[in-house]
Amino acid sequence: MRCHYCEWRCELGPEKYGVCKMYFSDGETIKERFPHRWCTCGVLAIESIPFYHVYPGSRCMTIGTSSCNFNCKYCANGFIAKQDPVEMQRDMLDLSPREMVRIAQKLGCHHIVFNVNEPAVSLDSLYDVAKEAQAAGIGMGCLTNGYTTPESTELLASIFSFFNISLKGLSPEFNREYIGIPSPEPILRTIKRLAEISHVEVATPVIQGVNDHELDEMAGLIAGIDPEIPWHVFRLLPEDEMKDAQYPNIELINEALVSARSKLFNIYFHNFVGSDWVNTLCPECGTTVIERFSLGCGGDKLQRFLCNDGRCPSCGRGIRLLGDRVAWDRQGGAV
Amino acid sequence: MSLAIVDAREWQNMFDLRTGAKVEAGGTRVEMMKDVLKKFPYPGDMDPGSNRWVSDIALDLIGAYHPRFVFLNYARQYFSIRYSAMDEAERKKMIRDVFAEVERFIGESGFTPIVVGRGGMTPLLEYIDLSKLDGLAICTHWSARYAGLHGPSSADLVRLNAHPQIEMIVEREALLRLFDGGGEDALRQPEYLLVAKKGYAFKTVSSVMRRPVMIHDADDYIPLFTPLGEVNDITAIRKLIEDNLREHRIALIFLEGVGINEFLLPLASCRNGKQWYCHEPGAAQYLSITSGRHRIFDYPAGYRSFDEDSGEKEYPLSGYFTSLPRDTIGEGIADRSIAVGNNSMFMHMVTGADMCVECFARNLSNQGALGVIHRQDK
Repeated sequence: MRCHYCEWRCELGPEKYGVCKMYFSDGETIKERFPHRWCTCGVLAIESIPFYHVYPGSRCMTIGTSSCNFNCKYCANGFIAKQDPVEMQRDMLDLSPREMVRIAQKLGCHHIVFNVNEPAVSLDSLYDVAKEAQAAGIGMGCLTNGYTTPESTELLASIFSFFNISLKGLSPEFNREYIGIPSPEPILRTIKRLAEISHVEVATPVIQGVNDHELDEMAGLIAGIDPEIPWHVFRLLPEDEMKDAQYPNIELINEALVSARSKLFNIYFHNFVGSDWVNTLCPECGTTVIERFSLGCGGDKLQRFLCNDGRCPSCGRGIRLLGDRVAWDRQGGAV
Repeated sequence: MSLAIVDAREWQNMFDLRTGAKVEAGGTRVEMMKDVLKKFPYPGDMDPGSNRWVSDIALDLIGAYHPRFVFLNYARQYFSIRYSAMDEAERKKMIRDVFAEVERFIGESGFTPIVVGRGGMTPLLEYIDLSKLDGLAICTHWSARYAGLHGPSSADLVRLNAHPQIEMIVEREALLRLFDGGGEDALRQPEYLLVAKKGYAFKTVSSVMRRPVMIHDADDYIPLFTPLGEVNDITAIRKLIEDNLREHRIALIFLEGVGINEFLLPLASCRNGKQWYCHEPGAAQYLSITSGRHRIFDYPAGYRSFDEDSGEKEYPLSGYFTSLPRDTIGEGIADRSIAVGNNSMFMHMVTGADMCVECFARNLSNQGALGVIHRQDK
């Protein structure tokens, strides 16, 4: 039986677990090997994940499972995503959907966001959590590599209401060598589809000298889908198999984004402490409408929110956001 | 205004430390700080050159700023031993290396040392899983021995009291009494403090994801070496420094992950707590040393730090700190002081030194370095 969750479309059997090693088949259905096993339930500001245009200032419970369907050479979470999931289980939290949602409430979180590994490897569990979360009035979002099949993209859209999709590179050579996939086409298809029906932001880690020459083309492709899609360009830190690589030069990457900024309204360049390029500017008049502070490595914060009615305070142009600004302590988090 | 200069290799930016607002500033000390950050990019927490980076920056600043008091923290051995599977011989070499680095610093600087091991490490035997309580357990930061318990049910307490790996459960009021706390001291304190037995670490929903090989040992006594005199309690170190600073240029040197058994200099055993409570090597231990009194309530073990982590929080570059701790040694002495370390944001918050340099690495991810200038008037 073939898996239909991602474009690897692996042959599964009772002891055949596919590329991600997270599913098996009993001959009739696809089943998770490790349902409802989580590697964390942390607390992060939504800007840190990053989502810059979703419920600014809100508090998220961040979750993850184990494994991945990609093999990126520079994975920052390789100590989870690249490990054998069997080995990982001894450290995982075993929490039912109801328990997950209750913990989110105890932590005072407004959303649950999957951000450690790839949600496509744990779709059934996430679907169960989403049902429980929806009943409790808690929304869900995720980071994803977008390598889902068309049918599982629809499933993703039924679970999550906001997405940050990683577009890592365009050339087949890059995708083969650095990501381990034959083509980025499924990812572009997923961005297009989810942008039609949901809130989408896109993230691209830049490896200087490897994929920085594609930035302009990527911006053009994203703009062709929707120029309002926020694009997060990450300064990639040397990690994992690339830990000996050079640190990307911030000025050079920023210069490479000059042309891209004429194509997309919201380009952010961060993943380093103190970035100057994390504020939202009005696309019409250039007024700063949202100010943020970046600590890099998952530490971005909302500082000032200046478009209370969703409009630029100077010219009145609408600023595309999913949801309103949320006070950090709105939920209270009472136990 | 305290200035914060971030250095992300070949790129720097400057902020007001308290507000996070971008600022423009110049002057001798700003240029001095920019220069040293540029000259010595941070190699990473587990890089073999990480401890050398601490000495190199300190020696450079000593040459340029001429401080009388230096505060250093060496942490590479701690990160490596915590996360890397290594045998006894490899661990011993790592410890020898840090002592060699300390020796180099002392030799080249001519400072009189007070060397303190912040406590040893012990293999992680197993986690104590607290994720399924009716209440909420929080294990703060990198703590292993302590967890805070918020809003437990009576069933939680029955279960936890019977847990074979939990050494004790301490009510908030008992902890306040032990350290003469009251009033505002109770604000962040969880209702109960859970104490794990040696070798066990709490696993809570907010724990870090990377499983350690070794964890803090939370020793009752930690080692101290100095030719300046006898000290038997960590709260007496500050007075020793103040009593001798007129005669000596002093370097207070902290070694992370080093306990009495690993200490390679003649040592005095220093009491590291009170009654049953012993400090883990976190903010409380630092502040107790730099203030000369136990300070466990500023940012207590197991408190809900994330409740305070909004965008409005001041000191955005200072981790969970919401204000600059007062009454630290750097603040209290009239002489010039510097602090350099490769363990997170502690240098600029717990020492009060005029000029502070620290790595800006979080969860081993190397973002660069941070220089803080607290004082430009000495």
